[in-house]
Amino acid sequence: MARQSKDADAVGRPSGVPPEGERFEATVHPGEREAALARVADLDLDRVPDPQGGVRVVVNADDLAELVRRGYEVRVVRTVPIAPVDPALVASDEEAERWLEDRIAGIPREEER
Amino acid sequence: MYRTVAQLDSQMQSLAMWFPGYFTRIRLPEASVQGRPVHALRLRAGGGPERRGVLLVGGTHARELMNPDAIIELAVDLFVSYATNRDLVYGGKTWPASDVKLILEALDIWLVPCANPDGRVHVMTVDGMWRKNRATNSGTSCLGVDLNRNADFLWGVTQGQTSCSPCSDVYAGPSAFSEPETRNVKHLLDTHRIVTFADVHSYSELILWPWGHAPTQTTDPKKNFTKLPTPKCQPIQVAGYQEYLSPRDLQRFQTVGGRIRDAITAVRGRTYTSEASIGLYPTTGTWSDYVYSRHIASSSLGKTYGFTFETGPWMGTAEESFHPADPRPVIRDAKSGMVALLQQSICAIELIGAQFFRAQAEVKALQQVRDKLLSTTDAGRDWIALFERVEGPAVLAMLGDRELLSDTAELVKRASALSRDDATKLTDDEVDAGLAVVRRLRSRLEDPGLRKDLRAIETQLEALRGTPMSKAVERLMATPPGEKAPARSGAKGKAGARG
Repeated sequence: MARQSKDADAVGRPSGVPPEGERFEATVHPGEREAALARVADLDLDRVPDPQGGVRVVVNADDLAELVRRGYEVRVVRTVPIAPVDPALVASDEEAERWLEDRIAGIPREEER
Repeated sequence: MYRTVAQLDSQMQSLAMWFPGYFTRIRLPEASVQGRPVHALRLRAGGGPERRGVLLVGGTHARELMNPDAIIELAVDLFVSYATNRDLVYGGKTWPASDVKLILEALDIWLVPCANPDGRVHVMTVDGMWRKNRATNSGTSCLGVDLNRNADFLWGVTQGQTSCSPCSDVYAGPSAFSEPETRNVKHLLDTHRIVTFADVHSYSELILWPWGHAPTQTTDPKKNFTKLPTPKCQPIQVAGYQEYLSPRDLQRFQTVGGRIRDAITAVRGRTYTSEASIGLYPTTGTWSDYVYSRHIASSSLGKTYGFTFETGPWMGTAEESFHPADPRPVIRDAKSGMVALLQQSICAIELIGAQFFRAQAEVKALQQVRDKLLSTTDAGRDWIALFERVEGPAVLAMLGDRELLSDTAELVKRASALSRDDATKLTDDEVDAGLAVVRRLRSRLEDPGLRKDLRAIETQLEALRGTPMSKAVERLMATPPGEKAPARSGAKGKAGARG
């Protein structure tokens, strides 16, 4: 979420910008007022693909409140922490080197010709 | 396991250093907004002048982690297959070594595995769901520009998932190509002959092609984006607007998209959908629309077919879908799809005529016949589709038979000369020479569908004895493959009615 950066290079946060906090993955539905789903785009939210072709967003609490205020039914699916990707998923330098060495094993390199 | 930016760079550097006959690493003109260098890798086998280019870009959206890995792995896989003469196997899909050889000898493959290095670093160190680059935005603390909304195609028109708000994840930026990361990709498009482009994203198992901003129509060329009012920070103001796409290019996108889809399905059964980009949601300023639009916006630019891959299925959560714990199955799918895209980017006539026999003018003349005449009728487009089905296997067969290759090159030259001369008629000798080539090709191909295609060519060739080339083309424009040629007097009228 762009509006929740906690990167060290971020400049000071002016008033009106939501504080860092939780984000939510949620699906958006027309609700009792039958709000047009196409207008969700007007809110400039982080929309992510939905397996059923519906409207799925990753938003903060203020965005959730705005969606409800506009008449949408919002179903929060889970919280999405502001945290780096699991370090266990990131290759170590040794693993990356070994992968390449394994793949090209036996092929003469320029330096060996 | 996902590679860091440094590991991606290091692997590119190693490949270029160890195998300079195949890989060339190029530092793109601009560093990222945080000062990181951005590199491209060119892969080809053999020498010679610049070839048809295919550009594959990954990591545009930072959180879509697996695609930079898929692109660098693809480069290694292709090279290893070529160097060892071993087939490329992705699950249930086998790409014969001969196919890989043709790809590497026919194309310049340009790879930008990680177009947005700052974003990838941020995902791995701060926020796993970061999408944009890390640009500071004037007047706000919100960071980043969506690099797939920043290209100069209806830039700033906030149709659907495109925004003028710097705090939005789909922020288009302060101006078209405001970002060094997007200017880098544009640089490659401007300086090389890129005929096919793919921006590789995740997720939702889609192969997307233009258009993203509006539904497609194929009947009114005057209704196109160059005449569309584009007020900044407003959606398209023309109610019910539909964007023109020529029938020929729609066919091409559908054909190539279908082959990518099939190549992916063969790996482990995943079913991708090939469709216009708007099928995901409306957008402007995206790469695939921009690269394809360039030749329409400026007639001096060549045509580039632009695709967007959305790799990987829904995995139960957005986070897991963007960076699954085990990306290897999705990466295999993506690599097979990219090989199909490369294979479909080979042009047999160009390869035979221009590359082997330096017959550039003849090739251009025949391409004109294809693009200006055949592509204008249903039957003509059916013939183009047939040639595109046959050309890859045909070239492979010719590469194993120098005499066949030489005879085909002579045919290319003769057909080209005839195409520029309305009066000269096809002689019996010329038709017989063409039939001999087609029959020899047919004897070398086992696929029944391809053999049927070649029979259709034979049938048409037989009917063209004593016919001027202009009339021959008219017949192809009026008679689809497999149908008997109409009487000569009716051919022109039918073609005209369809065209």
